Amino acid sequence: MAMNDLSKTRNIGISAHIDSGKTTLTERILYYTGKIHAIHEVRGKDEVGATMDSMELERERGITIASAATYCEWDNHQINIIDTPGHVDFTIEVERALRVLDGAVLILCGVAGVQSQSMTVDRQMKRYKVPRIAFINKLDRSGADPRRVTQQLRDKLAHNAVMFQLPIGLENEFAGVIDLITLKAIYFEGEEGRDVVEKDIPADMVDAAAVAREEMLDAISMFSDELMEAILEERVTEKLIHEATRNGVLSMDLTPVFLGSAYKNKGVQKLLDAVNRYLPSPFDIENTAVDLTNDEAPIIVEPKPEKPVVALAFKLEDGRYGQLTYCRVYQGVLKKGTSIINSRTQKKVKVGRLVRMHSNEMQDIEESSSGDIVALFGVDCASGDTFTDESISVSMTSMHVPAAVISLSVKPVDQKSSDNMGKALGRFVREDPTFRSEVNRESGETIISGMGELHLEVYVERMKREYNCEVETGAPQVAYRETISKSVPFDYTHKKQTGGSGQYGRIAGIVEPIPAEEDAPDFEFVSEIKGGSIPTEYIPAVEKGFRMCLDKGRLIGFPVLGMRIIVNDGKSHSVDSSEMAFQAAARGAFREFYGRAKPVILEPIMKVEVEGPQEFQGAMLKSIMQRRGTVVGTTEEGGYSRTESEVPLSEMFGYATDLRSLTQGKAEFSMEFARYLPAPGEVQKELKEKYESKVPDDD
Amino acid sequence: MYRKFVNARSPLRLLEKGLNGGLGIGNIGVLVAGHGVGKTPFLVGVALDELLRQGTVLHVALDQTVSHVRAHYDTVYEELASSTHLDDAAATHTEVDQHRSIRAYAPSGFSAAKLRDAVKVESEAGSKPSLILIEGLEEISREDLLDVGALATELAAEVWLSFATSGEQVTGIPEEVKALDDIVSVVLALEPGDGSVVLRALKDHDNPDLSELHVALDPKTLLLVRN
Ligand SMILES: Nc1nc2c(ncn2[C@@H]2O[C@H](COP(=O)(O)OP(=O)(O)O)[C@@H](O)[C@H]2O)c(=O)[nH]1
Ligand SMILES: [Mg+2]
Repeated sequence: MAMNDLSKTRNIGISAHIDSGKTTLTERILYYTGKIHAIHEVRGKDEVGATMDSMELERERGITIASAATYCEWDNHQINIIDTPGHVDFTIEVERALRVLDGAVLILCGVAGVQSQSMTVDRQMKRYKVPRIAFINKLDRSGADPRRVTQQLRDKLAHNAVMFQLPIGLENEFAGVIDLITLKAIYFEGEEGRDVVEKDIPADMVDAAAVAREEMLDAISMFSDELMEAILEERVTEKLIHEATRNGVLSMDLTPVFLGSAYKNKGVQKLLDAVNRYLPSPFDIENTAVDLTNDEAPIIVEPKPEKPVVALAFKLEDGRYGQLTYCRVYQGVLKKGTSIINSRTQKKVKVGRLVRMHSNEMQDIEESSSGDIVALFGVDCASGDTFTDESISVSMTSMHVPAAVISLSVKPVDQKSSDNMGKALGRFVREDPTFRSEVNRESGETIISGMGELHLEVYVERMKREYNCEVETGAPQVAYRETISKSVPFDYTHKKQTGGSGQYGRIAGIVEPIPAEEDAPDFEFVSEIKGGSIPTEYIPAVEKGFRMCLDKGRLIGFPVLGMRIIVNDGKSHSVDSSEMAFQAAARGAFREFYGRAKPVILEPIMKVEVEGPQEFQGAMLKSIMQRRGTVVGTTEEGGYSRTESEVPLSEMFGYATDLRSLTQGKAEFSMEFARYLPAPGEVQKELKEKYESKVPDDD
Repeated sequence: MYRKFVNARSPLRLLEKGLNGGLGIGNIGVLVAGHGVGKTPFLVGVALDELLRQGTVLHVALDQTVSHVRAHYDTVYEELASSTHLDDAAATHTEVDQHRSIRAYAPSGFSAAKLRDAVKVESEAGSKPSLILIEGLEEISREDLLDVGALATELAAEVWLSFATSGEQVTGIPEEVKALDDIVSVVLALEPGDGSVVLRALKDHDNPDLSELHVALDPKTLLLVRN
């Protein structure tokens, strides 16, 4: 195996809606690449095994196909399959997994097609600029229709999806695929479909194949002038097609579509060929880090072995072998026995054992290649930490970061603390993208905010320990949000006559809620002004006026999100109109329509997991229910039970203490932000009353 | 549409009709289908119907994680809410979630006694289930199934089990189920048919004549539909 031929490395994710066949496909891949020696029927059991490492079941099957990263080889290429959660939990963990991918296979069920969750995952992939190829699975099932699914990829996900294969038969009769590049029929014969057999295209499909090939060539010729010429001159080669396709995929302008049935062992090998051919190698992707010695200037990290090592710890896993840290090496080489620095803590750690995870076993290696994915043993670090050589200090950050959900005021107790506080906070903010610090304009207080009570406590403690900075903290404040729930028209005129020149601006339009999807923008401004009813030069002022109002909603003074404002009419005055007047008109309009648009308060909901001995199950459940929590479910294994739930953050204060006393200290919990949801009526009322009693009416 | 109308127009009313009143409280029904044909979406459809009618559901999974099952509910709920233009869909979703609990076990870690424990804990913390679904059961002893039945009667709940067959078409009541015929009230088969997945009764209480059910699972939306 050519360890260092990086152009032959693929770091990919397989993304799918539940039940589209991700597990089945992964298992087939591991089988064909020789990593496992038998195919087990999936039935989703792996899912159980994947999260419950110790479970008997998994031992029975002897494989963990859903570890954070699995290594396999196909046709002289090294493929790392990185686990990408199918149902989107909006966590930094998921973001990290997406970040370390260079490319992905998007699996779709040939019957159900593009489902809601494929849409969310796809949006995230777009954000991380992950090139994709598609695999339409389950063509053996009744109702399978790859053409329709391809069309959905175009319509619903806006992919330039192009079929590279045609199915030979469908449903019960699904027999194989026609490769539109080679114009051959491909069948998967022998034991578990291991033998890929090429035959002539069935006579009744020759014409259809010719037409489909033309369509395909037409679509991909956009990505290569050479191919375009070759088509005209009728001297198209496979190589030219592959190159053009690869160009299209890498620029994310093309999604080639492959077909099969993982379950019936059809099409998987051809998909692997496509992964090698079209998805990027680490060379093809530009990655940047920030230079910690140079004011966080961005610098490009390159997968060159001679450069100083830079690796990102993207996932920590408590496996049955102990704590494993999965790292993506972005630059240089990680070598066993060397020392590396954690750029967050500045602590030096030794690379004791370096391994590569295979589906069911691990292999010790001496060094990683540059651009590879490997795991370290027994390294103390946090997920998201960057490791580097001693010679440089950089950090792989800049991820999409969810909004902070809780804040706290901090006040230094003495001068010394006051001097040190800025330094400490500056440092923390750099290290941890979810931690923020700002000075409140009105009160002059320093406010720190983050993802949970504990999260902030850790930093307060660190200020004291590491920076000799002692602070008094205020009561934790939940970061509520406001949004509107009804679409309403508005028409507002701002008119003022003071002495000589006046102010005049009229704006009209519609304000509407943006549905609360993961990636929905917080605010959208659309101008549909035609015919200059508002002069173009004033439109930015209108937008600015609206944006100024978003910081402070009129219900309880928290930021407003999920609002789209469409301005479609207005009026100006040749003398009295100005940017200022239109800005004021926008603010006035906002004040006027906000109440009518049925504003609601959103509260942060946390995903809370409580785990403890089974005899405390009842107590653990009750502790959740009492906090306006919703129990999603409970998993029982080996005398322990783990309850997953969603609880409003405002109810979680003091939970650690309560849980301890309810369970004699035998249960543990973890908590992370899940999403914002409208607060129930009584809570809304209470919050409003509290706010109104504090703030004088400013209308 | 108002929730009331969604309930009234649910294809499950049709199923109840076909089964002369439905499964019936205190009874056990078995759903038989091949792998991947749609057992989970079907049962989730049944559960959502119960939840929309103010019931409480305990969903036991021996072959899937909690979050996997939950994702099924979210998918089917979203489809249902949008296809019926359900009023107040977001608030109803929260309410539905609150009355549903999922429990995952390793297949070998499950028994009727476990189910009793689970029901006890759930009832103490919230409310008693009116519908229990058990998925991924590979085998169950006669005593255990009898006890599940007894529990159903005590709770005045209905219980559905799913059972996987190897092929896509169900040839008849599987041997394993037949052996427990006297404890099971209803056996339904779910099979791929023309463009949809069709439900067929294999056993309907003591009825010698099995009627057509006119209910199917739309494989594209994973919703239960009239057929
Ligand atoms: N008929 C058919 N069933 C499949 C295929 N791929 C997966 N399945 C079945 O679909 C179900 C879900 O598959 P799984 O791989 O667990 O999906 P995941 O949730 O995406 O990991 C299982 O019952 C599989 O046996 C396929 O190509 N054809
Ligand atoms: Mg699965």
